[in-house]
Amino acid sequence: MERTVAGSVAQGARPPLKQVRRLSDGVRALLFLAPAVAFLLVFVYIPAGVSLGLGFFHYKLTGIDTTFAGLYNFKAALTYPIFWQAFRNTLYYAVLMIPTTLVGAVLIALLLYRDRRIFSMIRTVVLLPYITPVIATSIGWLWMFDPQYGILNAVLTALHLPVSQWLLSPQMAMPSVAFYSLWHGIGFDVVIVLSALAGVPRSVLEAAAIDGATGWQKFWKVTFPLLSPVIFFLAIVTTLATLQAFSQVYALSSGTGGPEFATMTILLLMYLTAFQYFHFSYAAAMAIILVVMILILTLVQGALSRRWVFYQ
Amino acid sequence: MAPTTRQEDSGSPSPPTLKTPGRGARRVRRAFQVVVAAVLLVLFLFPFYWVVITSLNHTNQVLQFPPSFLPHWVFQNYARAWSEAPWLRYFLNTIFIALVTTLLVLVTSILAGFAFGSLRFPGKNLIFAGFLSIMMVPYVVLIIPDYIVLKDLHWLNTYWAQIFPFAGSVFGIFLLRQFFLSLPLELWEAAQIDGASRFRFLRQVALPSARPALVTIGIYTFLGTWNSFLWPFIMTSSPSVQPIEVGLSTFLGTNGTDWTGLSAAVVFTTLPVMVLFLLLQREFMAGASAATGGVKG
Repeated sequence: MERTVAGSVAQGARPPLKQVRRLSDGVRALLFLAPAVAFLLVFVYIPAGVSLGLGFFHYKLTGIDTTFAGLYNFKAALTYPIFWQAFRNTLYYAVLMIPTTLVGAVLIALLLYRDRRIFSMIRTVVLLPYITPVIATSIGWLWMFDPQYGILNAVLTALHLPVSQWLLSPQMAMPSVAFYSLWHGIGFDVVIVLSALAGVPRSVLEAAAIDGATGWQKFWKVTFPLLSPVIFFLAIVTTLATLQAFSQVYALSSGTGGPEFATMTILLLMYLTAFQYFHFSYAAAMAIILVVMILILTLVQGALSRRWVFYQ
Repeated sequence: MAPTTRQEDSGSPSPPTLKTPGRGARRVRRAFQVVVAAVLLVLFLFPFYWVVITSLNHTNQVLQFPPSFLPHWVFQNYARAWSEAPWLRYFLNTIFIALVTTLLVLVTSILAGFAFGSLRFPGKNLIFAGFLSIMMVPYVVLIIPDYIVLKDLHWLNTYWAQIFPFAGSVFGIFLLRQFFLSLPLELWEAAQIDGASRFRFLRQVALPSARPALVTIGIYTFLGTWNSFLWPFIMTSSPSVQPIEVGLSTFLGTNGTDWTGLSAAVVFTTLPVMVLFLLLQREFMAGASAATGGVKG
């Protein structure tokens, strides 16, 4: 057994003392855990439980008469066309974001990690959007996306290419939001992939080269399997982040989810339902449906991961 | 030879063994790499450049075609934007909320991390698993019930609504637990001989050596709090307690087409975070590796 502080009592020599020790250690642990437990209990555990129940009631913020609603709120959501639009949009956004983030991050990391100077400079540059606030950078992109005066259309005009309405076009609005999110978020994934790449042993790659492996083979047979646990981790994190994206959707659509509900996501609809129209239980039902969606997507990825993730 | 990348396939026709690529191939690869780096540099930095340029031009200069790509050093935009919202208040609120949250997270994480890492008590693994399970709870489910909790506590529209819900951090507890688990037993034995209590051992021996983990937790909590929007946006309604991001969103709502003023506001609200990041970059990167350390398996 490894000699660590935690193991000290187990190895303690004198039996009579041990009894006393363990008890007081338990009390001590209780005191040490109390602050964290108190905060998590009040703001995470209990609310998470309440949230599950809330969808099944007619909860009103003002009155006390909370009546049981059964599946009423869920039925209402699932028969509401805008909700389905939001459901499709949320999935569409995830489909736009997850593959591009992962492939983009691996490509950028692979292309840059050889040269130390380029490497450290680019690493800082791609991380810069990630650490800057979403509302602030969204305003910058809102300005660049502006169909009339924005720089994107100005450049396209100068190149004699067709311009776009970007965020004001129902077709382009969601891809535009995804483009912003990619710019904002990919730096984090790049840094994680880079730190994983640093852990790929050179000797293995050299051995592969000696055996006559091409660069393509070395990537798929050596580097990728060694990176796969980290890529899987990023896939899960990106899934969670994209399905719960709010700030950029809110800022880039001026809080409306428009045009024509093209950027209405489940979370934005939930926000509007709860805090603009004060239908708390209805919004809670939407939140539960979103959580089920997250759960299913995560489980599917977990099941698929057995086919491609390689654990050493 | 350095490990593989894709440009070996797209660059030049590669020989069957890649042990010694020719000088020409190497030069092509090098040029390719520089080009890619330059493209990325422009792609990621241009939006920042563009906002700064916009903030330093007159409105008619930014609305013309072709637009001006150089600054004209117009500082009125900054003066105008600054005078149109209580920015100082927003700044002070943000700093206060971020600092107190960070402090609380550090305290709760140190104590709980120490309990899980260095103490022995019944049900330890079960309780720890219970803590970890929080990481699986998507935060969307917490918004509505937490709003109700905060309302019942009469804490809506206060600083506390923005601090206490984040005062317990599973990430922080996890990171410190890992650290305390790795402390050698000899340290505790030596401290016992000197008559130190567990708490004194924690304070004088364990904590000073946990500094890297503490810095990581501190940076992530501080930046995360500074950048948060949805939570304070829902839980607060008056500028006297609102943080900078919510203030910026209000400003966007009222000055939606004043692009030069908006750009100026974006610059002065974002600059502090950027400076902080550039100063603490190394610790930030170390934290990113630490956060995934458990994943590599």
